[in-house]
Amino acid sequence: MTKISVTIDDKKLDVDVGKTILEVCKENGIEILTMCHLKGLTNTGACRLCLVEIEGVNKLLSACTTKITANMIIRTKTEKIKRYQLITSELFFAERNHVCSVCVANGKCDLQKLGYKTEMDHIRYPYLFPQCEVDTSHPWYVLDHNRCIMCTRCVRACSEVEGAYNWNVMNRGYQVRIISDFDTPWGESVTCTSCGKCVHACPTGAIWPKAIVQGQLEKKPEIIAELMEKRKMNL
Amino acid sequence: MSKKKIATVWLGGCSGCHMSLLDIDERILDVAKLADIVKCPIVDGKELPEVDIVLVEGSVTSDEHLREILHIREQAKALVALGDCAVTSNITGMRNYFDLKEVFDTAYINAVSNDKEGSVPGHPELLKLRDKVVPLQEVVKVDFVIPGCPPDADTIFYVLFEFLNDRIPNLSEVKKLRYG
Repeated sequence: MTKISVTIDDKKLDVDVGKTILEVCKENGIEILTMCHLKGLTNTGACRLCLVEIEGVNKLLSACTTKITANMIIRTKTEKIKRYQLITSELFFAERNHVCSVCVANGKCDLQKLGYKTEMDHIRYPYLFPQCEVDTSHPWYVLDHNRCIMCTRCVRACSEVEGAYNWNVMNRGYQVRIISDFDTPWGESVTCTSCGKCVHACPTGAIWPKAIVQGQLEKKPEIIAELMEKRKMNL
Repeated sequence: MSKKKIATVWLGGCSGCHMSLLDIDERILDVAKLADIVKCPIVDGKELPEVDIVLVEGSVTSDEHLREILHIREQAKALVALGDCAVTSNITGMRNYFDLKEVFDTAYINAVSNDKEGSVPGHPELLKLRDKVVPLQEVVKVDFVIPGCPPDADTIFYVLFEFLNDRIPNLSEVKKLRYG
């Protein structure tokens, strides 16, 4: 495969052509914060956490959706990026109900870990307190909109891996919500196969199995990538 | 070096943070060597005197809390928000999703245990709940925050000990940053 030279955080690297900045960083042990990225699913660049500075480009670009090109000079840990990552995690927490102490995912949550990584100790923005519903109509799983950060990993796992197309996104901005079918209760879905992939893809306590208690939640988001790899081998 | 004065206050919280504070166990002796505890919910103290450090548990939920926190701010050199309620409003703030009237009616009238005979208490001596619960930093300047529900005793002791030795603690640096 053709190799190109790039510089990431003052480190010169020879990398394969055609990869995203995020893939290259991961392969070379350069940590980049992500929330909406999940290996095995297409990238959407929704969470804005993986923003990087590229010399000669006058705006920050998301590492997960930007293909690496020859002679790029990329910086991933500048003060500006750290500041933006902190703001992003604060805004996640300020939007809906992310009260960790009464969350099923407490201690096992990617959003919580993100807060620790960005060194967020308090939130400088006013909380929005939107009215969000908790859908318990499915016999095995719960969808709690209060904990959702709209990463859409469940939507992509459902359509791209399971092929069921149960999940989708409704409305915009503050009123944006994940919906099952045509905004009907999850338990009444005609498309959901109850496979549970969305449960594992969800990084927070927004989708979880009923058969667990607080602190016992175990999610295996890596199964999505494993499945995709195994399917490629079969082809 | 003269002894410092510290105080702890309990506003709109469950007192869990104070329980966690008590869990520093015998290390309270190390604190006592460096400081006098001049007021806390288990010490009889009428008004908060001037202090070097005050740990405030809980969020601002009533007119009384607001008066108290404004007074605390005047009296304290360093105001530390102790626990998730003080820092983020946490569970206490979850009533912000509802109107205050709905909250009162749910608790005092419509709760099953009231047998439909309840009434909302309205004695003038009682504190008045604010429409919305707010964390401390929305009404006063907060100098340091210790999130956690409750924060670990180790974390509370670390912060106190650093302040008492005239150092600024850093929770991320010592891997003690935690919510929930």
